[in-house]
Amino acid sequence: MDTKTLISEAKARFNHNAAKAQLKDKYDGKLIIADQGGLWKATPELISFLDSASEDNFVILIDNFDNPVQVDREKLLTVLKGTYQKVMLEWHKEWKELESKR
Amino acid sequence: MNRGAILFAFNSPKFNYYDMAVATAKRVNHFLDMPVTVVTDEASISESPYKFDKTILVEPDKSNSRDWGMWINKGRYQAYALSPYDETLLLDTDYMVNSNKILDVFNYYDDFCCHNKTSFLMQPGLPQEVLSVYSFDTLWATVVAFKKSSRTKQIFECLEMVQKNFEHYSNLHGFVAGTFRNDYALTLALRIANGHSSVKQDFIPWNLVHLGQKNVHIYRNNDDEFNTEYTVMYDNWQRGKIKKEYITIKDMDFHVMNKLNFMELIA
Repeated sequence: MDTKTLISEAKARFNHNAAKAQLKDKYDGKLIIADQGGLWKATPELISFLDSASEDNFVILIDNFDNPVQVDREKLLTVLKGTYQKVMLEWHKEWKELESKR
Repeated sequence: MNRGAILFAFNSPKFNYYDMAVATAKRVNHFLDMPVTVVTDEASISESPYKFDKTILVEPDKSNSRDWGMWINKGRYQAYALSPYDETLLLDTDYMVNSNKILDVFNYYDDFCCHNKTSFLMQPGLPQEVLSVYSFDTLWATVVAFKKSSRTKQIFECLEMVQKNFEHYSNLHGFVAGTFRNDYALTLALRIANGHSSVKQDFIPWNLVHLGQKNVHIYRNNDDEFNTEYTVMYDNWQRGKIKKEYITIKDMDFHVMNKLNFMELIA
């Protein structure tokens, strides 16, 4: 029996909360990258900070392992922005697919 | 530096762990492009056209059991000595690889890492498991990555020590010692090796996703050998009645606690 028939015969309801949680599990980890000797999560806050510190070529940040790391600001900004855009696009696309299920 | 995966697979009267290891090894080859070594015993090996990178035969320790019977899960500490690789991914045979995400850990870790946080499909919000109310959050031996170094050697030596003195540690930490669990042994061994503290770098920075044992069942969406799309069904008990719920998942690695369900997925 294929899964579509299984769902229909069992009269199963799509669980949006569980689907939302699994998407978070799936994509949260993809936002984490290693760069310039530190571990970073591509968050809007970190990206905004790097963007706003435009007068400094190098900044010191606390990475995910709680280590202070000196980084090339622009280089890290480019990497984090790229990661954020790519992962969020995929996340959004999959969320839209799931949201349409009833 | 060469890199590969290692699986421990000893058949029990109820489950064929060797067949599970073959299926998992194929997926590791396919998604992670890594060779796989199996640690097993003569009695477990079944006929399969699949060829592991290496097959290492050891004497199984049959002194452990679970509610469903004999469970040969001891001896995981041998992974360090037996692994033919400089960098090793040690996986449970019931870990369903559906992506190459786990490869990222080799960019993050110092020389050892495992999961310290979990989530359950269809049951978001379940609390993290603890050894006991007086003890630590459980670490998970389902996925472990390590590089050969003096520190990781110590970790695996501690794992051996904890295994051999499991009852003593159960008394200290207030958990039931009846069934030996690698997760508990790893939790204690890693802390001992780290000077009774925990080191953030030792933890994989995302959750280990479990498929729980009860009320949850997973089906593959197609019969492709390397299928990555699944439907997860959940029996939600409400006022004495079951309401069936489901979600679909794709390209996501997960650990299947229900071995029969895992066998169905790889059949």
